[in-house]
Amino acid sequence: MSITIKLFSALREALGESEFQLDLSDISEASAPVDVAAIKKRLSQRGAEWKEALNQPNLVHALNHKVVFIDAVVSEGDELAFFPPMTGG
Amino acid sequence: MSVSLQSEAIDVAAEYAQLVGDSPGAAVATFTGYVRDHSDAHAVTELELEHYPEMARNVLEELGQSAAERFGLSSWRIVHRFGRLAVSETIVWVGAVADHRGEAISACELMMDTLKTDAPFWKREQGPTGEQWVASRDSDTERRARWQSRETQ
Repeated sequence: MSITIKLFSALREALGESEFQLDLSDISEASAPVDVAAIKKRLSQRGAEWKEALNQPNLVHALNHKVVFIDAVVSEGDELAFFPPMTGG
Repeated sequence: MSVSLQSEAIDVAAEYAQLVGDSPGAAVATFTGYVRDHSDAHAVTELELEHYPEMARNVLEELGQSAAERFGLSSWRIVHRFGRLAVSETIVWVGAVADHRGEAISACELMMDTLKTDAPFWKREQGPTGEQWVASRDSDTERRARWQSRETQ
């Protein structure tokens, strides 16, 4: 399984990436569904800066353009975005 | 009954004429937001607005539709800028048409209070000491929560 990861605002700047494909074929072959928490855990393995950025308390996650809780299940082709609290208007 | 995400300036007079022309009503309310020349701590010389285009459009369209249902609007419009903005430029414009003033004013307030916390835009201010991302405000979250508590009453 592969999904698209998007990062915005201060998170994008801190991690130096805005969009990439994440291959999850190894963990998606297990019987348990893959949720946002599992994706965060996987990305946190990329290094200390990823672990810190993705575990900040106010981090927002949006799955296919909807804000979701950390137990939301991801599927093939989904788009998962991480970003700080929004400050529009 | 539509959303515009745009980098160019908002033509407020044209937006108003279009809103009212679409659906003449007894009560029209609008709100216009401009770039301030200061934040809580320092002067602001320029603002950059990053956004998540697909999600922003979805969130704002759902917001307009929910405001229309809640307040019985005959027309609504949400316009939000992105990109680099100078001080005093328009950032956001919302408009609502209803039968009575209460509904039109409340709809604009709901749309503004909700878009500030729920629509994926992020402000970065340029000031005398450099650039910095704007932090979310508890007061915005509290204003947003007022509408949620009314929804459950």
